[in-house]
Amino acid sequence: MIQVEGLTKYYGSFQAIDSLSFHADAGEIVGFLGPNGAGKTTTMRILTGYMPPSEGTATIAGFDVYEQSLEVRKRIGYLPETVPLYKEMTVWQYVNYMAALHGMRGREREDRVEEVLDNVGMLDRANSMIDSLSKGMRQRVGLAQALVHRPDVLILDEPTIGLDPRQVREVRELIREVGKERTILLSTHILSEVSQLCSRILVINKGRIVAEDSPETLAARLQGSLRFTVRVGNASPDDVAQAVREIKTVVEAHPTDRGVEVTSAKDADARPAVAAAIVGKGWDLLELQPMGMTMEDIYLQLTTEDEVVEEEEEAR
Amino acid sequence: MEDLTRSLHTLWTIFKHEFRLYWISPIAYLVGGAWLLLSGFFFSVSLAQFNQSGGFFFGASEPSLIGTFSPMTFLIMFLAPALTMRLVSDEIRSGTHELLLTAPVRDWEVIVGKWLGVWGAFTLILLLTLPYAFLLVWRGTPDQGMMITGYLGYWLWTGTMLAIGVLASALTQYQLVAFMIGEAIALALFLADRVGILITQPVISEVFNQLTFSAHYRDTMLTRGLIEAVDLAYFIGLIAIALFLATQVLSMRRWRS
Repeated sequence: MIQVEGLTKYYGSFQAIDSLSFHADAGEIVGFLGPNGAGKTTTMRILTGYMPPSEGTATIAGFDVYEQSLEVRKRIGYLPETVPLYKEMTVWQYVNYMAALHGMRGREREDRVEEVLDNVGMLDRANSMIDSLSKGMRQRVGLAQALVHRPDVLILDEPTIGLDPRQVREVRELIREVGKERTILLSTHILSEVSQLCSRILVINKGRIVAEDSPETLAARLQGSLRFTVRVGNASPDDVAQAVREIKTVVEAHPTDRGVEVTSAKDADARPAVAAAIVGKGWDLLELQPMGMTMEDIYLQLTTEDEVVEEEEEAR
Repeated sequence: MEDLTRSLHTLWTIFKHEFRLYWISPIAYLVGGAWLLLSGFFFSVSLAQFNQSGGFFFGASEPSLIGTFSPMTFLIMFLAPALTMRLVSDEIRSGTHELLLTAPVRDWEVIVGKWLGVWGAFTLILLLTLPYAFLLVWRGTPDQGMMITGYLGYWLWTGTMLAIGVLASALTQYQLVAFMIGEAIALALFLADRVGILITQPVISEVFNQLTFSAHYRDTMLTRGLIEAVDLAYFIGLIAIALFLATQVLSMRRWRS
């Protein structure tokens, strides 16, 4: 649904993003995780057609975000970081205006505005001035605006920033709800947020993707759990991975050309159990090597030293 | 064809939005009130002058709206930028331009829709002066054709001022700066013929004369009841240039750099 190839953006001589490549499949919720200033907003602004990339291409639903911007914009709902609202309008007027800008008309539009306000739980405040709403409510109105034209793709820039914990939970539930039927790309610098919402996580720093993983693996790694590679002599990596997955303390195991990469559950060392299982099957355990870098390391390094990350990246 | 109906729908949507916003903000009432008060004042003055001069009115023997529109063509230069200064600036400042630029609408539609909205709001204010015209027709025998061209020219001149104001507003996120840029451009157009007087080279002098709006309004539509193609071209051309430039300014952030 979203396909990004070598996306690069310069602001003058400053390189905001550096040949970014990633994709998001239909129905996926992909999280963009990274410190402030990593290039998340820039990437999202390029995807929404707000500004063009300096180099590289991005397509959404098969349409190029620069060459076929209007087609792309029809298919996306966008919630910028600071929710852009017309404070002198009522909730209903605002969402209705945005629906009209997306070409919706007449009775159909009115029904849809009502429906989407109901979805975000703002129907009872439809006639309130936006100026009078709390921050959490404004966020929900912003989401209503992004959803009203039934977009295939939602792009949400820091959707829970500045909300109190209860509002954060509400907005997350809302995102999970609407994410059931569309592709979502959301950015955040909060680790727990991505792990709760996303099926895949892209860690971005200084304009580059430094890691890409599922939230389970990421969370496990972030919380200090172990990743290691297993090499077995007389069994195929696929068989080994399958056998290892059945162990309770193993979160994930996938075959690679160097063996099988295994991730322990958090605060658990799965190595003894993995070794026992392999030996129990009658296979030859050749090697069991910890993979060294944890996600926590990555994230901390992301936010501090760039060079270290590059070295670690090469080591991977 | 589908593109045309989409464009019209977008223009109508933005027009309605802007038009409505004017009547919930105090600025339209302030500007509209000032405009009506001043035009009423000049109308009364012109009637009083007519009576005191023993039935002579700007060289004519019938009252007209010349005495009303004439000073108002000058004053609108100060009022129009006040109406337009927030149009684009405010959106940039509040971030709502990000919504407009990522909605499936074209940049020119945003600019033209906004301009139509503010021009529509002003048209309503202008129509509130129609009682003056009716009063003149009721009590005397004014040149009705000249009154109509007077209105038409004034309406076009306002549209021009507002288009320039939209351009000024697109240039900055600060309303006050937008106001002053709009006024500076308007003043330059107003004073162009004075520059023409300073220049002895006749061709260049004539260029400056033609740039000034009074050559295209005061001397033809307002005082002689004439509608000439060159005058219409002047206003429509200026509007088109201003809106085109405003669109370019809005699109600048989309340029590949």
